[in-house]
Amino acid sequence: MPDILTATGVSKTYFDMHEGHDVLALNGISLSLAAHEFVSVIGPSGCGKSTFLRIVAGLERPTAGEISVSGRKVIGPGADRGMVFQEYALLPWKTTEANIEFGLRLKRVPAEERRATTQRFVDLVGLNGFEKKYPHQLSGGMRQRVAVARVLANNPAMLLMDEPFAAVDAMTRQRLQEELASITAHERTTVLFVTHAIDEAVFLSDRVVALSGRPGRIVADIRIDLPRPRRWERVMNDGRFADYRDRLTQSIHGGHAHGGHA
Amino acid sequence: MSSADDTIAAPATSARRKASWWQPRAWLVELVPFIVGIAIWQALSSANIWPRVLFPSPLEVAQTFVADTLSGVLLVNLAVSLKSLMLGFVAGCIVAIPLGYLMGLHRISRNFFDPLVNLLQAIPGLAWIPFAILWFGLGQGAVVFIIVMSVFFPVLHNLLTGIRMVQPVLIEAVQTLGAGRVAVIRHVIFPATLPNLMTGIRLGIAFGFRSLVGGEMIASTDGLGYAIFNAQQYFQSARIVVGMLAIGIVWLIMDRMLLRPIEVRTTLRWGLIRDGLDKH
Repeated sequence: MPDILTATGVSKTYFDMHEGHDVLALNGISLSLAAHEFVSVIGPSGCGKSTFLRIVAGLERPTAGEISVSGRKVIGPGADRGMVFQEYALLPWKTTEANIEFGLRLKRVPAEERRATTQRFVDLVGLNGFEKKYPHQLSGGMRQRVAVARVLANNPAMLLMDEPFAAVDAMTRQRLQEELASITAHERTTVLFVTHAIDEAVFLSDRVVALSGRPGRIVADIRIDLPRPRRWERVMNDGRFADYRDRLTQSIHGGHAHGGHA
Repeated sequence: MSSADDTIAAPATSARRKASWWQPRAWLVELVPFIVGIAIWQALSSANIWPRVLFPSPLEVAQTFVADTLSGVLLVNLAVSLKSLMLGFVAGCIVAIPLGYLMGLHRISRNFFDPLVNLLQAIPGLAWIPFAILWFGLGQGAVVFIIVMSVFFPVLHNLLTGIRMVQPVLIEAVQTLGAGRVAVIRHVIFPATLPNLMTGIRLGIAFGFRSLVGGEMIASTDGLGYAIFNAQQYFQSARIVVGMLAIGIVWLIMDRMLLRPIEVRTTLRWGLIRDGLDKH
């Protein structure tokens, strides 16, 4: 199966205004994602995992290295790499429906097809009855569902997610994680997911990539062989879940990383 | 997949409360401060502390108001003033709004215009009266020019602030949905700047009123400002108050009939602004 994403030797240096010198944030990240693969990137704060995601999205440029998505070099943001942000980033002036169909409108998809697609994704994320609500009338969990539906309705080559569940409460977070796991399995979405929560990464992913503390480099790349569909009560009682979690915790905080986080 | 137990935040009910704003009872509540104000005014004038000419009673003012309305004087002056205000306001906005977006979205334009705008915005609209009279002669042209100079800067300044306050993450999100520069401006920048633009327009009209009255007193022979000034020459103090109140009432009507409905349909509905902190 061809790779959807290929990152080769991606490094990022930026100028730190406070410290007054260049800081190396990412150090030679090379990573591939196969089609339909769910890959999480974890690491301590400041390791550059979000920066890497933003470089894949085309929102930032790498200092060195290259990203290709579906064989095309990334030079800027595009509809093939839809992103879900921690702060939802819904357009406050658009209803649930209008937010979800936004990308389709930009592509000038005919009204009938647009409506059908929008309704399918409203159903998929369980927001029936909330189609005409504005984002400020929705709870955090519902807003993030809209954000996911908005990207998926646009049919991107891959879905990028930057700590999407960090701002919701613990109960909602677990349910959203289960929903995301089942939706992305059902839609066969290729996902690159960034989080600092190791549990979350193991629960959701086919593969978890661990970065060291700054400058971030890959210190582990582990395949997660847990059965799908994934449910928290089942996964938590699976002995392998704890194993994966411990291995990843060790590789982030343990001796593998140079200058690892405390 | 269900969202049944996901709670909806308060606004579902507060939307209903917003709708009730237009119902008669809400209007009555709004009249209360005016009734109290008039009662205090009446009490003070009944106490006969000051001579009538310095402190006209509500009754005298009401009588003058009726008389001037019936004779048509008030309406003529009102029409002249409103026309000046609207012309000046529209002309000011036609220049300020495009210039604001240009400066906000185009760095070279910003760097060029910013020093000029900064220099000019410290100059009050009324300071332009001498030149306004020299260029346009006594009359409406001069008044409109002064209003333009007064409306322009608050509109521009607030619009620029609004553009600076647009959340970058909104722009990034729509870019990853395929939006180019034009779509970003249309779907993100324009709606996101609306609350600040409305503030600018409110301030612009308020500043416009000040310049309108000041301008008419000096550079005109009709309009509400002239009427107030003229009444003072003849010690017609009730007429002064009628002119002042007419200005206030016109502002209230513009706010309620024009600005407020726009906000109810846009920024309030989108949750970008709220009526007050107590409503949630």
